[in-house]
Amino acid sequence: MSTTPALLKPDDRADVIPEPRVHARGGWTRVRHVALPFGSLLLFLALWHLLAASGTWSETLVPPPAKVWDAFIEVSGTHGGVRGYNGTTLVEHLGISLRRIALGAGVGITAGVVFGLLMGTVGWLRSLFEPWITFLRTLPPLAYFSLLIIWLGINEEPKITLLAVAAFPPVAVSTTTAVAAVPKSLTEAARALGASRWDVVRDVVVPSALPETLTGIRLAVGVAYSSLVAAELVNGLPGIGGMVKDAANYNNTPVVLVGIIAIGVSGLIIDGLLLRLERTVVPWRGRA
Amino acid sequence: MSSSEITQAAAGTGTVPAGSVRLDHVTHRYGRGGEAFTAVGPVDLTVPDGEFLVLVGASGCGKSTLLRLIAGFEQPTQGSVLVSGGRPRPGETAGVVFQTPRLFPWRTVRGNIDVALRYAGVDRGQWPERRRELLTRVGLEGTENRRTWEISGGQQQRVAIARALAAENPLLLLDEPFAALDALTRERLQEDVRRVADLTGRTTVFVTHSADEAVFLGSRIVVLTRSPGTVALDLPITLPRGDVDAEELRGSQEFAELRAEVAHAVKAAAAA
Repeated sequence: MSTTPALLKPDDRADVIPEPRVHARGGWTRVRHVALPFGSLLLFLALWHLLAASGTWSETLVPPPAKVWDAFIEVSGTHGGVRGYNGTTLVEHLGISLRRIALGAGVGITAGVVFGLLMGTVGWLRSLFEPWITFLRTLPPLAYFSLLIIWLGINEEPKITLLAVAAFPPVAVSTTTAVAAVPKSLTEAARALGASRWDVVRDVVVPSALPETLTGIRLAVGVAYSSLVAAELVNGLPGIGGMVKDAANYNNTPVVLVGIIAIGVSGLIIDGLLLRLERTVVPWRGRA
Repeated sequence: MSSSEITQAAAGTGTVPAGSVRLDHVTHRYGRGGEAFTAVGPVDLTVPDGEFLVLVGASGCGKSTLLRLIAGFEQPTQGSVLVSGGRPRPGETAGVVFQTPRLFPWRTVRGNIDVALRYAGVDRGQWPERRRELLTRVGLEGTENRRTWEISGGQQQRVAIARALAAENPLLLLDEPFAALDALTRERLQEDVRRVADLTGRTTVFVTHSADEAVFLGSRIVVLTRSPGTVALDLPITLPRGDVDAEELRGSQEFAELRAEVAHAVKAAAAA
């Protein structure tokens, strides 16, 4: 870094300290936000390659990065008459799974917001439902997946239900808390201006609870995402989780890794989009 | 009560004028049983319409509680509160300005005014004109699109005043609205509130702990005793109103004497 000497030798340039310092800090920020994450990724790939090349473990356990890349190319298109993985390309697998998540998490989030609004405003409803939601929240999705299969069969229904049930508690809990914590000063101010009960809910309670509800939604999408492989354990093909499960059955580690990376990267992108949405929709977060 | 003549006068007319306030033997207690705490009372007070009444008292004397009773946010434990001859209802009988602006941060300055106009039942087509009018009245032209956190504390409180004026209630209640502002901003806002009250002719009840503020604003000052607050002094203020030079008024001999009298009464009432 050309700017570091200014920091390393402050004595030489004591008279012009403020200027180089600003530069150094700007440079450091860039290093921290771009170069470090990228560098760590490269380092990881290098270590991975060395580890795989060292032959400590068999290639089935730790395939080299190049093998995973080949698998990625293979499942992304048609090669030698074979289309993607099990007749479906990676993008299609991912798309089918995303649709399941959108449906399941959508239902769960909607129900969560409705329950949160009701529980946050009506005290006895909260007492009635909160223990059940807390119970549901502590259960790992796999625990009730078997039950869902008994009840709903092995097609789309249990998968979407599982994702909905997994997404529901975080939104319900965060919305309840947010609604119950709406500043009395603001509801009173609205009433002093002549707001009806409904006006207060629409103009004060909902916008005031929105930032925390959106955080709950982000959490819910995260939970739904992490339940994806579980949801697609049974009859999950086509679907990215089903692909991982199926590839694992054949010890096809490169495809398993491709699937895991695809789930992780798409999850990151969706979380980033939600974070962005949050910033646009609630610019007043932390200003109330 | 020194206000008994006014009480009789109001009762004698048969119809109760809009904006008038009448407190009959009002007592307010917080809590119940052995832990009950009497914040106010008993208070008898009649505010005829058009008056600018300032309630003064030391911290914790129950003056804010009294204002909340008049606003209809609290119900008296004993006695009765009448505004314009009826029970006070929040949002209907009076406009309220609180100690803090209490603006809605999810709305811009424009949005905060508009929501008040909507609650007041103003026709949507008239909003732009009424909004401009209200903002001009509190000296906030050109801030419509600002976010509430982008404007200063004084400007925020101005928005709160404009918002409270939107419904054109005949009664305006202000609870130490300028306590958190710097001296210069406070004086300017005092001048504006005095002007707006004179201009609109609506009844105003203003709570403060500052004798200076009370004398400058009020056409009548009521000093409350230490908790539970009761009326210790009821003083008409005859300083000129309407188009007056605020600096001249603050510098006048009469102003200084009144301020000393009120400050003395507040101290005595707090010690009693």
